[in-house]
Amino acid sequence: MTNLIELEDVTIGYENKGMLGPLNLAIEKGQFWGILGPNGSGKSTMLKTVLGFLPAVSGFVKTSDGIVFGYVPQSEKFDPIFPVSVGETVSMGRYVRVRSGKKLSASDMDHITRSLEKTGVLHLKDRTFRSLSGGEKQRALLARAISGEPDVLVLDEPTASVDVKGETQIMELVRGIKSDDGLTVLMVSHFLHTVTRYADRIILIDKDSGYFESGGKSEVLTDHNLSTFFGLGAGSGII
Amino acid sequence: MGIISEFFNSYFLWHDPMIVGAVSGAVCGFLGVYVVLRRIIFVSAALTQISSFGVALSFYLEGFSMGAISSFIHPFFLSTVLTSLAAVFFAMKRDFSRISQEGVIGFGFLIASGAVIILGDRITKGAHDIANILFGSAVVVDPGDVYIIPAVALMAIVIHIIFFKDFIFVSFDEETARLFKYPVRTLNTAILITIAVVVAVATRALGALPVFSFLALPPLTSLFLTERLKLVFVLSVIIGTLSATLGYFFSFVLSIPTGASMAVCASVFFVLGLLWREAKVRI
Repeated sequence: MTNLIELEDVTIGYENKGMLGPLNLAIEKGQFWGILGPNGSGKSTMLKTVLGFLPAVSGFVKTSDGIVFGYVPQSEKFDPIFPVSVGETVSMGRYVRVRSGKKLSASDMDHITRSLEKTGVLHLKDRTFRSLSGGEKQRALLARAISGEPDVLVLDEPTASVDVKGETQIMELVRGIKSDDGLTVLMVSHFLHTVTRYADRIILIDKDSGYFESGGKSEVLTDHNLSTFFGLGAGSGII
Repeated sequence: MGIISEFFNSYFLWHDPMIVGAVSGAVCGFLGVYVVLRRIIFVSAALTQISSFGVALSFYLEGFSMGAISSFIHPFFLSTVLTSLAAVFFAMKRDFSRISQEGVIGFGFLIASGAVIILGDRITKGAHDIANILFGSAVVVDPGDVYIIPAVALMAIVIHIIFFKDFIFVSFDEETARLFKYPVRTLNTAILITIAVVVAVATRALGALPVFSFLALPPLTSLFLTERLKLVFVLSVIIGTLSATLGYFFSFVLSIPTGASMAVCASVFFVLGLLWREAKVRI
């Protein structure tokens, strides 16, 4: 098995102030990792450190050579003042394959169209991104993430702004894309049931208690942890 | 009709300033789309004031014998250098002793505004020239401006056409651009530098008020009129050009200050755009 991402004694935090660490983790090709934890537990800080948005306070984040990330940020982060269309938004995901100063080729446009089709938003390509519903935005952002033919799909709270039906549709879409394209998935969510249903590996994180555990679902989501971090009683049957 | 025919008969008088105004309106309208979408209107206000300060400082230094360095105190040079330096500084996006970036920009705006007025009290050219810098004259322009401003505008537009995809990307989603290893800081600086250089040359010719209004109002008006990004740029260029030319025309025929007339024309387009948008929403 090949490690795509490795964390070696990494301490995460802001402005050289350590928040949690040292963390050690190896993410292998084809795995589906879910990052769980209460609100404010450091999930997003860990994700930002893995993606290189934040430098590790100490330790090393190693990624395999030439690795391509497809990133689905939270849709609320986009400023609605921008009148960008869905087609233009999805095109930006392809820019990972197109250098600065270069234009998209016909082949790039084909990839973008296929991504729009795959996520069921091709009919929305001329609509403005800001006018979409929460579920449509997430599908458009998923199209954007896969249009760059990534190795690792990174999802930050992908179901935070959708209803239960929308959540199921998005997560089934993610599962299908992962299976079809052989992707590795790294997903942050505070929804325990979503993570336990779709991820095969779990990271449980809580900076306040200094807790970090990673591994298989049954290893990490013990009755003690479910009770401590999610207030669930023993035998809750969540796994 | 008499006034209008007099206007057209005076072609030789307004030919140059009309070209300078129209080109400035067009290029500021184009670059202003970034100013509005990135929510940095205050940056453009600060840059126009810093540019004014550069011009005023140049006028002030002209009163001294500067010998070999006199060419460096030319208003064009000094204004461009100071405005570009400010643009680079604003692009750094650092926290300064926990004061927000907005606070630092406000500081730049206020100190430049104050310094322009203080220098105006000291320069030999007099307060009238400072009023022209701040509020715009453009009744007559330097002959060189007819070439300098279109050349600078062309340079800025060519850069923006080449890097259009990248400038939109870093403006809309800087985080993903960084993940994709795009030169985010360089691109952000390039956007601000092109704005700064255009602001510097246009402010010297037209004054701070019309330049600031061209950077803010045509893009805002365009956003009322269309939901298509590329069309926002096209409409903003058209509205910027119309604001400048109509502003000059009304200034000429009504004998009102040119810079203020241009700013009011841009404001009228803004109000019309707002009304059109409101009417469309209600129908």
